[in-house]
Amino acid sequence: MIDIIDLHKAFKKNKVLKGVNLHVDPGEVVIIIGPSGSGKSTMLRCINYLERPNRGIIRVDDLKVDARNVHSKQIVALRNKTAMVFQHYNLFKNKTVVENVMEGLIVAQKMDKKLAYDTGVSYLEKVGLLDKLNEYPAKLSGGQKQRVGIARALALNPKVILFDEPTSALDPELVGEVLEVMKDVAKEGMTMIVVTHEISFAREVADHVYFMDDGIFVEDGKPSELINSPREERTRRFLSRVTLRVT
Amino acid sequence: MNQLFDFDYMFRSFPEILRQAPVTLLISVGSMAIGLVIGLITALLKIYKIPVLSWIATFYVSFTRGTPLLVQIYLSYYGIPKILAFMNIGLNIGQVPSIVFIYVAYSLNVGAYLSESIRSAIQAIDKGQVEDAYSVGMSKVQSMFRIIIPQAVTIALPNFGNSFIGLMKDTSLAFIIGVVEIMAQAKIVGARSLRFFEVYINSAIIYWVICLIMERVLYWLEKKTRKHLET
Ligand SMILES: Nc1ncnc2c1ncn2[C@@H]1O[C@H](COP(=O)(O)OP(=O)(O)OP(=O)(O)O)[C@@H](O)[C@H]1O
Ligand SMILES: [Mg+2]
Repeated sequence: MIDIIDLHKAFKKNKVLKGVNLHVDPGEVVIIIGPSGSGKSTMLRCINYLERPNRGIIRVDDLKVDARNVHSKQIVALRNKTAMVFQHYNLFKNKTVVENVMEGLIVAQKMDKKLAYDTGVSYLEKVGLLDKLNEYPAKLSGGQKQRVGIARALALNPKVILFDEPTSALDPELVGEVLEVMKDVAKEGMTMIVVTHEISFAREVADHVYFMDDGIFVEDGKPSELINSPREERTRRFLSRVTLRVT
Repeated sequence: MNQLFDFDYMFRSFPEILRQAPVTLLISVGSMAIGLVIGLITALLKIYKIPVLSWIATFYVSFTRGTPLLVQIYLSYYGIPKILAFMNIGLNIGQVPSIVFIYVAYSLNVGAYLSESIRSAIQAIDKGQVEDAYSVGMSKVQSMFRIIIPQAVTIALPNFGNSFIGLMKDTSLAFIIGVVEIMAQAKIVGARSLRFFEVYINSAIIYWVICLIMERVLYWLEKKTRKHLET
């Protein structure tokens, strides 16, 4: 279970998050939509403390981290319970595909090398990259890199995977393969928090959709409710913009 | 004996000068190794802006790059005994071999130059990979040594190579405090026969050949470490 309670974050004078609350049940897929600059990435990055919130509580599983009083041990523990898939598919460029998946297992989780390799291979098989085990990231397409990113996240066996616009940097013809993998991951019961502009994906996969604007959640609901009949004017305006762009 | 150039003498004296080539190589490799450690530490102090220590690092790099190596060798040779005497550790300074002062001067010298190459190479690695490392649960130190530094080495390797070759040639100054490397040996042999031109030709050839070999090795290393960049 994941809880975010009253999360605040400012960059210097620029208040980006102004009291965000979120609850995610195990196995739930939560999708966050909202205009550019509204704070979606910042919120995700606060969950694993890539950004340090000014105020607020993050709870993942049995670990509770309060921004007012954080130890670096807690941050490491938090990162060990979460995994992240980035927009710009940050892979370790000096490691092969399978080494990318193994790295966190060996270094952070102290898994034995042989077991880490087997684990890596099995997750790479899942995302359809068995034939790329020993390639370096530079040789992969964007979609393939993103699937490595997902395999790596899965292999860490996290309580939640955070996705930050995993398909926005991809060529349109590569978006499908990544969304397919994400659907499989969702089906297997992984808890996911996904920032995305893919409205049809949200409609199909989400258990709950949140709309963020200007640092707060303006409205949330079941995908059918929020996407088809938003209550707030701001949500309506945003949705008409994105759906126009997609179709 | 009065001919303009004595080929025969040149060939005969060659092995005698070549005999000291290991000293040149040892100073080069040893100082480079220590210099790399110094350079890495200096670069990290500056990158993480560690208070006080980073100021010392900045001063050290600026001073070293702004003064001639020859002066630094003298400072090391005359300065270290004074410092030791001041600290009064009861070491008989007369017994410290000259080569120690050479190692100190050369390591510090090349370390300053290397630190700048290392720093810019580390800063060239995109921040995304660091966040990546953090997000899979790696610590700062782990991500530095497993992800960033290996890639920085690839970037900095051509600079390392230039520094190393420069260092190797600079070892020809070591004779001024009595270390008998290639250059000093050439002087000694030349003084005996008064055929200085021939012996210096010999030393030039030896330096040049060492340099060519180093270039080959570096080229091979560069190719090996760039494997992950091929597309
Ligand atoms: N490291 C940072 N330093 C300073 N300001 C930042 C930083 N990261 C984000 N911001 C600011 O925070 C605000 C929210 O950014 P954020 O990336 O969270 O938005 P977003 O909702 O993810 O937008 P997008 O859809 O474009 O990705 C922006 O005004 C941005 O300029
Ligand atoms: Mg964003």
